[in-house]
Amino acid sequence: MKARIIGAALLVAVLAVAATTASGATKRSTASITVWLQVDAQSGWPGAVAAANAAFQKQHPGVTVNVQYQTWPTHLGKFDATLAGGNTPDVIEMGNTEMTKYMAAGAFQDLTSAKASFDNSSNWLAGLAASGRYNGKLYGVPYYAGSRVVTYRTDQYKAAGIKSTPKSLGQFTADAAKLSKKYGKKGYSPVYIAGTDWYVAMGFVYDYGGKIATQVSGKWKGLLESPKAIAGLTAYKNFYAAASKASKTTDENRPTPYSVYADGNAGSIVGPGWFTCCVGDKYKGSTAQFVMPSHTAGQAMPGFLGGSDLAVPIGANKQLAADWIAAFTSTTSEKAFQAAGNIPNATNLLNTSKVGERAALRSWFVPAAKNWVNVENGNILRTMLSQILTGKLSVKQAAATADNNIEYTLNAS
Amino acid sequence: MARDADVAVPPGKAVAAETRFIPSRRHRRFSFAPYGLIFPVAAAMVVILGYPIYKLVRISFERYGLFELIQHQGHWIGIDNYRSVLGDHVFWDTVVRTIVFTIVNVGLSIVLGTLIALLLPRISAWVRVLLMTGLVLVWAMPVVVAVQVFYWMTNFENGVLNYLAAELHLVGPSHDWYATPTSSLAMVTLLIVWGALPFIVISVYAGLAQVPHELVEAARVDGAGPLRIFRDVTFPVLKPILLILTSLSIIWDFGVFAQPYLLIGASHIDSTNYLMGVYVFIKGYADHNFGLGATISLLMLLMVAAMSVVYVRQMVKAGNTR
Repeated sequence: MKARIIGAALLVAVLAVAATTASGATKRSTASITVWLQVDAQSGWPGAVAAANAAFQKQHPGVTVNVQYQTWPTHLGKFDATLAGGNTPDVIEMGNTEMTKYMAAGAFQDLTSAKASFDNSSNWLAGLAASGRYNGKLYGVPYYAGSRVVTYRTDQYKAAGIKSTPKSLGQFTADAAKLSKKYGKKGYSPVYIAGTDWYVAMGFVYDYGGKIATQVSGKWKGLLESPKAIAGLTAYKNFYAAASKASKTTDENRPTPYSVYADGNAGSIVGPGWFTCCVGDKYKGSTAQFVMPSHTAGQAMPGFLGGSDLAVPIGANKQLAADWIAAFTSTTSEKAFQAAGNIPNATNLLNTSKVGERAALRSWFVPAAKNWVNVENGNILRTMLSQILTGKLSVKQAAATADNNIEYTLNAS
Repeated sequence: MARDADVAVPPGKAVAAETRFIPSRRHRRFSFAPYGLIFPVAAAMVVILGYPIYKLVRISFERYGLFELIQHQGHWIGIDNYRSVLGDHVFWDTVVRTIVFTIVNVGLSIVLGTLIALLLPRISAWVRVLLMTGLVLVWAMPVVVAVQVFYWMTNFENGVLNYLAAELHLVGPSHDWYATPTSSLAMVTLLIVWGALPFIVISVYAGLAQVPHELVEAARVDGAGPLRIFRDVTFPVLKPILLILTSLSIIWDFGVFAQPYLLIGASHIDSTNYLMGVYVFIKGYADHNFGLGATISLLMLLMVAAMSVVYVRQMVKAGNTR
């Protein structure tokens, strides 16, 4: 009996010790670094990643690089968990619309002192560099920018009698009708656009001179109800009806446009330049790109100037992380991103013979609000597009609802 | 009582002594061992459950956003979170929607489950084996895998559901099953009821074994129809099991998260198709307002407890008057 009591007491003691030993921040190992990149890099430019790793390891022999690929919808949630747990990655790729909230919350380390070590840092693209700055300090290194272009089937366009790529939206709509006539079987879209692809739809809004929101004496005001924005949304609705047979309520990830293209169900798709990576072997030879035309002939429709920055979270190994970022954003690396269809991060590397960079000459970006990420997470713009396309609400009503929701979200503290 | 002979009792009081058990010193011994053995389990539960619950309640009274998460320190604001949640019409809309959703799901699960369980004794052995195997396979399938397969089946472009419906000329060439909130939640209901059936069927089937066969025979001889037999003989015996299953189903279906969030998709979730589980996640994690998320969590807990109490009391009351 006494032995049992002693045994029980020992068990209690062991559990108590185990319970109180917090999994606190263990000392960071200097034998490896963890890098979080998006799957875009995995499918689009894996060679550049491997080259950067090799260059880094030459500089730091004995330090392994552990690259973990993340997806856009899930990476922020995982990042929050590491911030709470103290095991943040050493380098993280953040979308330029996501940076502000995290910089304001103090999630990243200050890289101002290391700025000179990054190639071409005095020539960074203004828009991209701005997304990595907060309170005058540098937190995010510009990685690449992307614009939206049209990827199309040269063989189908030729067979449908389209002699040259469209230079205006009206011409594009007529061309879509030609493609429909020639290839209009079930499930085929002349121009596949997912219904709630707001990156494409807002291009129409900005093309007609509209805007998403603006700040008036410190408070955000939604501008989707303005006549210019309404004109843009109506133009989108009309173009969509002629061009796309996609589901009106789904997003551009379910399914991805390039997978629809690879199945042979799309004559053209609108999206980032790097879509050419995944059009499938069957159509690789008959694929080319052109700039999405504006409703005004001869101009480009403003494309979403998306982009990514590379940041070093708190708790990470700053020196090793900065060195890896320097290797990954080196001139050679940026040229590799450019070859994959992206826009490099510095003006001295630009090459306007490339279609993506011509498209970027006219671009738009989301409002620079701290809570903009909440507008994206709340799917406010997506819901509005879904309501417009399905006819559930008129364009005016849907825009008014969206404006209310945007103001509520952006002005929340 | 023989042991009481050890205690000296006056003869007159012998009868009284017999009716009163006086624990004798020899046989009464306070033993630490039971408590010592229980203590590790209790301590583990206090740590695993108690500390998170304490933290949850505490955070609900704090402003705890991304900034506070990085600092590992919240900022006390009293009942402000509660005021803002209870004053938000999205919260109340979501509560109503989730209650309706729960009633539909629980109702369908229990009714269909009981029907299938009633079917099992009446079919031949090999069909029963096939059916049970199918049910166990459904039970074993991980939720995330089931959602992915179900999504492919209901896909707009090339799902098998659209293909069948088009061949039968029920809908146009392609129907978007996720176009409206009602339609989306109906798809989620299908998936959840499908996943809930195995547990209910197997539990009720086990309970059916307790129905006294003679009573059923007697009732049949007396001329009672199958519905009457079920109502008067089978159902009272099944009541305890159905009570447990219904309570569990209410708790699970009220807070369900994986199926709606993954099936409807993060890009399609908005205030018109929130369910409580998804609402907590969006408010708490996606918007980085952990204080608000904790508040909604606690309110959910209170609601589920209230629903369970009302239901249990009703069943117990009904049982007593019969």
